[in-house]
Amino acid sequence: MKKLVEISLGVVTSVGGFLEVGSVATAAQAGATFGFQLIWAVVLGTICIIFLVEMAGRFAAVSHHTISDGIRERFGFNVFLWPLLAALLVNFMVLSAEIGGVAIALELATGIGFQWWALPVAFLAWLLLWKGTFGFIEKGVSILGLVTLCFVVGAVMLKPDWTAVAAGAVPSLPAHNAANYWFMAVSILGASISPYLFMFYSSGAIEDQWDKSYLGANRAIAGLGMTFGGAISIGVLIVAALVLATHGINQVNDYHQLPLMLISVFGFWGFVLFVASLAIACFGAALEVGLQQAYLVAQGFGWNWGEDRKPCDNPGFSAVYTVSLLLAAIPITLGLDPLRLTIFSMALTAASLPLTVVPFLFLLNDERYVGEHRNGIISNTAVILIIALGFVLAVVTIPLQIFGGT
Amino acid sequence: MKLLRDLLDKQVVDREQVKIGKVDGLVAELRPGKPPRIVAIELGSITLARRLGERPGRWMAQLVAKLGGRRHGEPHRIAWQKVRDIGVDIEFDIDVRETSIFAWQDWLRDHVIGRIPGA
Repeated sequence: MKKLVEISLGVVTSVGGFLEVGSVATAAQAGATFGFQLIWAVVLGTICIIFLVEMAGRFAAVSHHTISDGIRERFGFNVFLWPLLAALLVNFMVLSAEIGGVAIALELATGIGFQWWALPVAFLAWLLLWKGTFGFIEKGVSILGLVTLCFVVGAVMLKPDWTAVAAGAVPSLPAHNAANYWFMAVSILGASISPYLFMFYSSGAIEDQWDKSYLGANRAIAGLGMTFGGAISIGVLIVAALVLATHGINQVNDYHQLPLMLISVFGFWGFVLFVASLAIACFGAALEVGLQQAYLVAQGFGWNWGEDRKPCDNPGFSAVYTVSLLLAAIPITLGLDPLRLTIFSMALTAASLPLTVVPFLFLLNDERYVGEHRNGIISNTAVILIIALGFVLAVVTIPLQIFGGT
Repeated sequence: MKLLRDLLDKQVVDREQVKIGKVDGLVAELRPGKPPRIVAIELGSITLARRLGERPGRWMAQLVAKLGGRRHGEPHRIAWQKVRDIGVDIEFDIDVRETSIFAWQDWLRDHVIGRIPGA
């Protein structure tokens, strides 16, 4: 029974971790411009992240190492430096985008420009990390995050043509705007396969003191949690495809166009639901990414870390998330467009994937870490495919950014 | 045991299980006609910078000496005979509070983090 509660909680948490500004923005853009055609990218991204999250959790439960610990120990400091720097940079941009997402939600709610909200939002996130415990943050984020289910409800209420939805799950070539189509596909994959997600998950497994008895729970949480997260993203995409296109919006280039998605389904409450979903999903992600920056640095250099300790017991760890949140609020305060930043950082995430995913192939096959629980043929095939996908994404992202970016 | 594979970059904890850093470097004694023997581990930014190359190592040593005074101009060393247990972490029979390894974290606590309410 206790395990069942933990699994359900874990599932809910992973949904909260999955859905953030990137998945909302990319799914909405894709739906508006290409209808159901890009659903396959969400499906593919979700399958990839299921495998990576399961492996990250299994690695932590069996070896008692986080993924960052494992990379540093197995490959040495000089190799570890590259994924470390890449992840710090990508996380910084994602964190900034998440703060921007909350700021936009607050602008929609109050009419006060988003720039003014960045520092207060960063401050509130910092306060929660400063005073809160890991369990409090994990549970708070996830339970509030359930409000994003309104996108799934909205999608069902709009009665889409389900055969067309299913057809979108199969990759197809675009009839128009090929560069933009592939750029959107890359951004969706970047938004789904976020390194911060699986690295955070492995730190969480250590914080929650997982051992081998959690392997089954881990599999259930990874599979169900990410599937639900992906389903919500598809919900966003379906609503965007059905609502925005009928209102003549086939290019989302401004966050102010987005509340319309739910307004046309739920009326005024749709506006409230949209603002709440955006604010909560992005704020939860901001907490997780801010915390992940501190985990990454502290684990990489071997300092004390842990969200449950008081800041004065972990000065280095607390300093990292404090500085990260402050720095990430600056671009938004200066007026950088959150939507453009989001799309750009999602594409950059996709390009950084090989650096963080290649180590999985070694770590999850190394008996010294995972013993008899090493990868089977299915997991290894999945990692190799994800690495191949990562390399393709790394090569195509920059040209696509130039020709297909909005 | 393969030294580079099994020791380097492992987590180091003191006898209170406080995480004090990683095995950033190993100090070995070369003995004529016999295999080299580990005499100490090194940790800290200077050792890490030295792993990137001679020049980064020199720069880091100068920087650290400038920030923390002459006594921080050398990497921290822990004698190998203090090792107690090698598992997920390597435990040494020392108390980090009696070393200068956390001098910067103490500084950070006393001057910045500790001054913020709620710390």
